[in-house]
Amino acid sequence: MAMAMVRSGLLRTALRGGSRTSSAPPKRGFASSGHHDDACKLLLRGLIEFISDLNQYETAKWEKISYLGIAACTVLAIYTLSKGHPHYDEPPAYPYLHIRNKEFPWGPDGLFEKKQH
Amino acid sequence: MRLPQKRISHNPQGDSIVQWEASVEEEYKGSSRARTRTIHIYLTEDAAIKPAMSGSSLSIERKLDPKKPFFTTLGGGDPSPWPISGSLGALATTVGGVMYMHSFQGGATLLSLGLIFILYTMFVWWRDVLRESTLEGHHTKVVQLGLRYGFILFIVSEVMFFFAFFWAFFHSSLAPTVEIGGIWPPKGIWVLDPWEIPFLNTPILLSSGVAVTWAHHAILAGKEKRAVYALVATVLLALVFTGFQGMEYYQAPSTISDSIYGSTFFLATGFHGFHVIIGTLFLIICGIRQYLGHLTKEHHVGFEAAA
Repeated sequence: MAMAMVRSGLLRTALRGGSRTSSAPPKRGFASSGHHDDACKLLLRGLIEFISDLNQYETAKWEKISYLGIAACTVLAIYTLSKGHPHYDEPPAYPYLHIRNKEFPWGPDGLFEKKQH
Repeated sequence: MRLPQKRISHNPQGDSIVQWEASVEEEYKGSSRARTRTIHIYLTEDAAIKPAMSGSSLSIERKLDPKKPFFTTLGGGDPSPWPISGSLGALATTVGGVMYMHSFQGGATLLSLGLIFILYTMFVWWRDVLRESTLEGHHTKVVQLGLRYGFILFIVSEVMFFFAFFWAFFHSSLAPTVEIGGIWPPKGIWVLDPWEIPFLNTPILLSSGVAVTWAHHAILAGKEKRAVYALVATVLLALVFTGFQGMEYYQAPSTISDSIYGSTFFLATGFHGFHVIIGTLFLIICGIRQYLGHLTKEHHVGFEAAA
């Protein structure tokens, strides 16, 4: 849809500039000024305005989605945290669990482990 | 050429920095095809420069040798000491880390020195990059493209890094060995419920992504304050994510020492957590830079890399 809007905007601006040149063929001087430049300027200005409008629209849209996301996360967090956390039984000492081949430099426990002894 | 415009910003000490911003056309003769491009130049107010600005035409001679790699030199072209200092820091960190983990004497000292060296290098190198981009205006379109390529390569390397962890997980889980009881998860392993904290953390991280998109559009629309608010929201959501993950790690029934399940699970989620923490720090820096007015509509490569 955005592309269609760009195209229609470009077309409109181009036609606006083009209609003036088509009625009477301009004299071409050595300087590259004239109707062609005017059309280009108009086209460029239209494009810049359009992109600016698009950015304003996108900013407002993503701001709303952000608020929606934060609200949804808050509700889900309250629900999840209110359930409490489960407790697990200690598993049998299988050889592949709690592997220790060597002492850590800082002591018997891993950095993110609860005390096992 | 656009006429030079005055911009006033403030440095952390509270001194006001007066800059002149101008856009000029620059002929680029580095490649076989000669071409022109528009560049923006920011100049700090200076008695020597000011008279040149008062005229209607401004001519600035810039020497940027395209054959010389930009990032190993300081803006002026002097060789930068930071690549070698960073490399030495990385060497000390690696050797010190191995020595520490094997309880060698002096391992902890070498590891600490290496980390301090790396952190110092990161600080001064990025300080130089920020000076080159904001005050000196060296970040032309070509330099921006180089920065973008560099960051894209980093992201690709991260994708491959995490691909390896997924590979290890599928390799171990799809055909569990007899040593772990021939089942997945291995016998005796309690698995975290994915519908609790992981399910909560997913929308939190997605919302953080949405908020950073909001920040991006706010920067493009020139809404500077809104962009700061959006970045604050992004960072807060990322911090909440890290907090929940830390809580879950603390309450987890298994550890990284518990079978191949613990190894693959904590290696992958741990590096993901590290990736989120680095991203959070990067976005905090972007938020501060946005507040100080470093990021503009046309020039915000640092933000795009963080996002």
